[in-house]
Amino acid sequence: MEEILVLGCGNILYGDDGFGPAVTDYLNANYKIPKNASVVNVGLASRGFIFDILLSEKRPRRVVIIDAIAHSDRKAGEIFEVPLSNLVKEKVDDFSFHQGPASNMLKELRDNGVEVIIIACQPENIPREMTCGLSSVVQNSVPKASELIYNKYLRVH
Amino acid sequence: MAPKTITIAPVSRIEGHAKVTIQLGDDGNVKDTWMNVVELRGFEKFCEGRPAEEMPRIVTSICGVCPWHHHLASAKACDAVFGANIPSAGKKLRQLCQEIAYTSDEILHFFFLAGADFVMGPGADYAVRNVIGIVQSNPEVGKKVVRCRHLGTQMLNIVSGKSIHPVTAVPGGFSKPLTIKERDEVIKMAEEVLQFAKWAISWAKTEIFPKYLDAVKTVGIIKTGFMGTVKDDGSMDLYEGKIRLMKPDGTYEDFDDDKYTDYIEEKVLPWSYLKVPYAKSWGEGFSMDLDSPKGIYRTNTLARINVCDKMSTPCAQKELEEFRKNFGRPAQLTLLYNWARLINLVYSAEHMMELLNDPEITSKEIRVPVKPRAARGVGHVEAPRGTLIHDYTTDADGMITRANLIVGTTHNNAPMNMSVKQAAKTLIKDGNYTEQILNTVEMAIRAYDPCLSCATHNLDGTLPVKITILGPDGEVKDVLTN
Repeated sequence: MEEILVLGCGNILYGDDGFGPAVTDYLNANYKIPKNASVVNVGLASRGFIFDILLSEKRPRRVVIIDAIAHSDRKAGEIFEVPLSNLVKEKVDDFSFHQGPASNMLKELRDNGVEVIIIACQPENIPREMTCGLSSVVQNSVPKASELIYNKYLRVH
Repeated sequence: MAPKTITIAPVSRIEGHAKVTIQLGDDGNVKDTWMNVVELRGFEKFCEGRPAEEMPRIVTSICGVCPWHHHLASAKACDAVFGANIPSAGKKLRQLCQEIAYTSDEILHFFFLAGADFVMGPGADYAVRNVIGIVQSNPEVGKKVVRCRHLGTQMLNIVSGKSIHPVTAVPGGFSKPLTIKERDEVIKMAEEVLQFAKWAISWAKTEIFPKYLDAVKTVGIIKTGFMGTVKDDGSMDLYEGKIRLMKPDGTYEDFDDDKYTDYIEEKVLPWSYLKVPYAKSWGEGFSMDLDSPKGIYRTNTLARINVCDKMSTPCAQKELEEFRKNFGRPAQLTLLYNWARLINLVYSAEHMMELLNDPEITSKEIRVPVKPRAARGVGHVEAPRGTLIHDYTTDADGMITRANLIVGTTHNNAPMNMSVKQAAKTLIKDGNYTEQILNTVEMAIRAYDPCLSCATHNLDGTLPVKITILGPDGEVKDVLTN
């Protein structure tokens, strides 16, 4: 398994929820990914993916999660890191596989020695009815987030 | 005692969100229950106006848990729309992917989702009643589970090039041949998964099921019909064949999937986004009354085991015979879904090996060209959560003008509600309940392995009810919405 995993999470059929996959696609298309890293559009399959990592004997050194996360104090398109401790534990985190990455899984990863980074983008619109495509403000944040992730967490210094 | 409503929200370790409302009467006993769905999708409307050939690729974004089964059902519907007769090797490659994805999913459900209740016990602390608890208390089991999940991903990557959002099944066949070298690599992994499947059912029969036989005999019991897919010889199949609809008394009728609307009616309930299919061909209407249900049938693992006459692989056939000796046909006990799940797993792993040992699997004749036309096409497979039907209509340019999906969880909507009611009535007495009792009610739902994100695509523009509080006469006291 690679030392660094960057996972784009979200549903491309629900507007800005497709931010994570858009960033991983952008990274793979525009950056040279180091050999010790893998950048994966995991879409809706993030929980199963993370779960298998969690229970593997060989784990990555670092996992970077990219997702659209609504936060009351942020502006649409804003990129921010979310401390793992700030993720609220809810009963839905009870190891189901259909939602975004569950905080309890990520905490288990951290407690097993994996550095867990969460890069979020404030969505402008996650529609109730399926609609493809990011809003322009979130689309504009895709290159910015990609650059941040590449320089801070992927590039070999 | 004043009427009281207990809400379990969300039900966890299922795929998606659901909310259970249990209404207690004046005497503190259960008066009624509802399982509400609190997500919505709107997928069918989204499909209209899109090229049919894009559908197999788009539908993989409906669900992160069983994208392969949507992918294959969609490809089959497109074959039908285009009138394509796909090459035998192309079909076998699709079947191989179906079986690989299926084994991974059944392992996931038994050990990660429903299994935690059995392996750790329904009374175990919430914090350890999950797969982490399983791994910590049974590390060797955990290692085997993870190893097989990993092998499933590797096999799909080799066979199809992409395991998460598959693109290889295309209208007219399969887009990537399997080389002999790749086949030789995959077959070693498949053999390991087969050995695991045999070990899993043996282990569960000795270490797990006997401990919870009381729960199996009491939780969520209802009497219904069943639906699944069988080949012409009556053996179970996950990819093709006729749909068999069995009545509660065990009599059945078989039909082609494009005739499903002659046999199934979809009902819309005011309190759920999830439609409720029922067997209209039985001519008795629809009722979820526990004492006198009408038109209710179930899908998923137990249904498949019940409707088939036999299994086409030796170990699964042996397991089926033992199961029927113990529980009869059709078996009605809801928690037997978990036992049936492991029989399905053994079959799938054996069939995977059969396909890989078939020399035709490495043929390069895997696809035929297709042309757009105005037509209706229906495709179905047995997804882990039940019979999955994709039904498309196209115009002369091959653009989708109408789409209808019935996913496994939707078939099980009515029986899930009934099982919840039965479980609640059995376990909640005089207003008394504990976390263990409430979790046992959830177990009745989890047995069906519901995937509500896929199922909720009946969009009518309003949000579903989240909490409903009813008085003893049924009048609405308060409604709290999302």
